[in-house]
Amino acid sequence: MLHYLGIAGTNIQRSTNLKLLQYMKKHYSEEAVIEIVDISNLPVFYKASQDHIPEAVNVISGKIRKADGVIIATPEYDHAIPAVLSSALAWFSYRIHPFAGKPVMIVGASYGSLGTSRAQAQLRQILDSPELKASIMPSSEFLVGHSLEAFDDSGNLKNLRLGVQLNGLFSDFSVFVKLTKQMIHSQKQAKEQTKNVNWQDN
Amino acid sequence: MKIVAIAGSIADISYNRQLLTFIASHYASQIDIELLEIKNIPMFNEDKDQTQSAAVQYLVHKIESADGVILATPEHNHTTSPAMKNVIEWLSYKVHPLNQKPVLIVGASWHTQGSSRAQLALRQIMESPGVGALVMPSDEFLLADAKKAFDELGNLKDSKTIAFLDTVINKFIRWINVLDALQEKKKQEPWRQEDLAGKHPVETSIDIDISDDWVEKAAKLVKATSGNHYVQLNRGVLTVDQLNWFLNTMPVELTFMDDNDQFIYYNHFLDHDAMLAPRDPKQVGNTADLFHPKRAVEHVQQVIWALRQGQKELIAMPVPGNKINQKYIMHFYKAMHDADGRYRGVNEWVLDIWPIVSDYLKRTGQKLIMDPDSKPDATTSASQSEPQRVLSSRVEGKDVQTINDMKTSTADAVTGASETTK
Repeated sequence: MLHYLGIAGTNIQRSTNLKLLQYMKKHYSEEAVIEIVDISNLPVFYKASQDHIPEAVNVISGKIRKADGVIIATPEYDHAIPAVLSSALAWFSYRIHPFAGKPVMIVGASYGSLGTSRAQAQLRQILDSPELKASIMPSSEFLVGHSLEAFDDSGNLKNLRLGVQLNGLFSDFSVFVKLTKQMIHSQKQAKEQTKNVNWQDN
Repeated sequence: MKIVAIAGSIADISYNRQLLTFIASHYASQIDIELLEIKNIPMFNEDKDQTQSAAVQYLVHKIESADGVILATPEHNHTTSPAMKNVIEWLSYKVHPLNQKPVLIVGASWHTQGSSRAQLALRQIMESPGVGALVMPSDEFLLADAKKAFDELGNLKDSKTIAFLDTVINKFIRWINVLDALQEKKKQEPWRQEDLAGKHPVETSIDIDISDDWVEKAAKLVKATSGNHYVQLNRGVLTVDQLNWFLNTMPVELTFMDDNDQFIYYNHFLDHDAMLAPRDPKQVGNTADLFHPKRAVEHVQQVIWALRQGQKELIAMPVPGNKINQKYIMHFYKAMHDADGRYRGVNEWVLDIWPIVSDYLKRTGQKLIMDPDSKPDATTSASQSEPQRVLSSRVEGKDVQTINDMKTSTADAVTGASETTK
């Protein structure tokens, strides 16, 4: 069975993005294992020396490395991804590069009607940067608007149409993961590119 | 001209901080630039609100009192730095010091790209409704190859780069001046004299500091009568008890705001949450600036000024979120005058008019139909509808703004004011 890592781009417990990942974990438990990791304890990113990368960063980085794919659920603050997620991604691209070539699926939930469309577009651009070089599942966008009303008491998505849409994308993600593994050249290139990144730039 | 500058880096050595240091010293004769430190700002977390922490308040105060802000952004992973984004989240959550603030974005990077993507991302963030900054358009100052750009004294080496920076900084100064001129025009509007802060005590004002038990203290100081003591009124004689019974059975929520903009009475017969316009017993004695949010203040000023100046005798407005033919809450503001015609404050009453209309229809055997020719919003001017809306949403006790949703969440509040002149 495929093993995924779920990252909610938040540090609040009542986050609807966390709820969305929990729903996916439960709902797809027969198809894949989804382990949800918490990024709320990582410090604001700074350029640490090699020996001083926070332990929590290394632990999660190891999990990303081992996982077959990563699912990121992002909120949207000020038309962009939250600082807590931006900071975590900076940690995962500085001296260590667990995302290089890693298949990533992006989802997002927001209180308003737009469902994090801007944050998701930005997240794609970030994951595609030379320091991260993730393999982002193309042509797939999953947005949950009005997320406070989106789940019932048992944590299930109320909107059936959205549920069906997610089923399709999730099934495609497993295809994408297998496909990515066969793309040995781009995988190799991604890993080499991230190694050449120079972080002394600012 | 006072400018504050923030480098989006918490590293010990930062080319962006170096760039700002150069700008601060090079243009010292033209503008006063102060670099703000962001190292101690905690990670933004809605569950652990630290807006009131010293580190965040330091930034808030510095930015609020500055004429403009310069942001120097590094580029991390094709976007602005997490440290920069983190600061902006604090400054767009419970407080909004960057709102309407002139901002210049610059950036330095090691690579040839020179933070172009980061600047674009930061611009988009700064222009989001929760932040609301006025980012200077068109010019981008990108310092590529930053490592080689400075000499050992910290000065930019390339004269062409400095010449371009000159034009950018001069343009930013003009940008600030232009925006300031627009503000000045606004400041001259007469209703802005209504200070709402109770700075002009009148002979009826009771000289007691505002506190939760203002009523008790004020009553003691003036030896206010109560209980079964009689007062003579126009026209009648009642005890204070009788007066209370009378006022507390009025079918409206009444509020008395005196001519010093101090809230000194409401007919307290309902608990806070049961009221159409929730009031707290502890609020009595507050001045008008204290129980209205900052964003509603301008509209409150306009309403009181219009009544005080006699431009209007009565202002009536429905609250947003009223449901046609179910519930229709109206606020009425009427100027009070003494025998000499002097303005003595506002009598505000709030009620749901739907039960009255519905009862009338039942008694007279009629029903309502839409009038295709009517234009219910015809009296609302575009420039005034926004502040009216925010005032109303506050008086109803529902604060609808969220960090990423400030504009969309209020967009369904379509009712404007209709003003009635007697």
